Amino acid sequence: MTDPGDLLADIVDDIDALFLFSPSGSYYDRAASIEDLDVVVVAPENTVGAETFVELPLEFDQIADRIRFGVEGALDQDLVEEGDVIAATAGLFADGTDMVARVRVGTAGHTGLYDLFTDSRAEPGVIRDVFGVAIELGRKGQKGKPVGALFVVGDAGKVMNKSRPLSYNPFEKSHVHVGDPIVNVMLKEFSRLDGAFVISDSGKIVSAYRYLEPSAEGVEIPKGLGARHMAAGAITRDTSAVAIVLSESDGMVRAFKSGELMLELDPEEY
Amino acid sequence: MVEWLRSLTTQFQYISAALVLVVGLVIGYLVGRINDRILRSAGIPEAVEGTSLERTARKFGTDTVSIIAQGSAWIIYIVSILYALEVAELVQTGLVLAQAWTLLPSYIVAVLIVMVGLLAGDKAELLVSEYLRGVKLPEVSVIATTVRYTVVFVAILLALAQIGIAVGVLLILLAAYLFAMVLFSAVALHQLLTSAAAGLYLLLNQPYGIGDRVAVADQQGVVQEVDVFVTRIEDDGSEYVIPNHLVFRRGVVIERE
Repeated sequence: MTDPGDLLADIVDDIDALFLFSPSGSYYDRAASIEDLDVVVVAPENTVGAETFVELPLEFDQIADRIRFGVEGALDQDLVEEGDVIAATAGLFADGTDMVARVRVGTAGHTGLYDLFTDSRAEPGVIRDVFGVAIELGRKGQKGKPVGALFVVGDAGKVMNKSRPLSYNPFEKSHVHVGDPIVNVMLKEFSRLDGAFVISDSGKIVSAYRYLEPSAEGVEIPKGLGARHMAAGAITRDTSAVAIVLSESDGMVRAFKSGELMLELDPEEY
Repeated sequence: MVEWLRSLTTQFQYISAALVLVVGLVIGYLVGRINDRILRSAGIPEAVEGTSLERTARKFGTDTVSIIAQGSAWIIYIVSILYALEVAELVQTGLVLAQAWTLLPSYIVAVLIVMVGLLAGDKAELLVSEYLRGVKLPEVSVIATTVRYTVVFVAILLALAQIGIAVGVLLILLAAYLFAMVLFSAVALHQLLTSAAAGLYLLLNQPYGIGDRVAVADQQGVVQEVDVFVTRIEDDGSEYVIPNHLVFRRGVVIERE
């Protein structure tokens, strides 16, 4: 005679830490009252007042990305060690908690997803804002038609020296930052321009209309992606910038760092 | 006949006194209610949320808005009671009333000033500590407390001056304190202020922009960022943070290839 709880007990057997993804207050309190177990909360905001907390910059649509980000964040804060076994509870289909997964820290490989946000030259908030703009642009398009866009974030001085203007820079002598409310509309209009947007570490939009000229030698990006992605991959290998690309053909938002594809998001999921 | 008339006048006195009292109570109640409404629709409850005056009021089962509204009602009640006594000629309140007329407004204003001062001080402290929350230094809360007591001190000073108490000494104290603050910040913030003034010029006119190769104050490299206070220049992986007042004092060389 077994009941489902016994089967599930294997998943949480001998775990070193329990990761709660966006838990409700009462759920967290119940988890925190378990003795001899580290509880780590991963959420966009620390609403439950947890001691150990990893901030989630985006609600990743892929649950695996979300867990990977949380685990890498906890590893970075020394909350867990390589080889630890953790259980993660999250909401897969509903907003509440409806799933649990068992993860061994380190086996998933260090994908650098956490570093993409926290260890880049640009401030985490700026990268998050650019993601927001790209997702918004991907969902709405320009006048209902899909558009592509390429944002190069951080290390703007070097990026500017590795690119040239295709036309007059509409952002010359302006002081527009990506977090500003007007930016969504503005970038939607400017997205019909060819070339890349260059954004500085602090989020200032330095230029539009830039033609990137990095050396693309030896840059490996998944086959089937176009010139825009190749340019994005190459510029991030040559500089310490992060590139965020909205694909015109399949509408996906992809992030590159150090010449590698780090993250793939579907704007329709947000 | 005379007897009857006298009793009529006495009765008339009492009736009119009662009338005055009733009218006064009704007006007081209405003014209290209207003030309550006005303050609430002006968003005062949200504005005073979390201040210590509000918290103290809550402890006694009321709130700031009702205290002010009730206060205005009670002033009218007291005045009408005094006036009713005067009309009924029970007590010689004429003198009291005359004095009340001259003193009451300034006392009311004084009390209001103190209340507003307490609220503003609390609010200022909240705002400053909210702003400084990013700075994870416990001692930084001293600044918020200083701001609060400065506001409260000024309010008390104003209130005392309002009711005609000599505040000369306190005024000198305030002046000395303010002078010390201004002198202190002028000395401490001198570099920041000159940098900010230079930074404004740099941001407005942009003699150099992000991506330009420049040489400033013995350092050369590619401009990465220009903000109000500093210019960040990077060369071969080292990033120099140069205060903008140096850009002005030493000048800048823009290298064109």
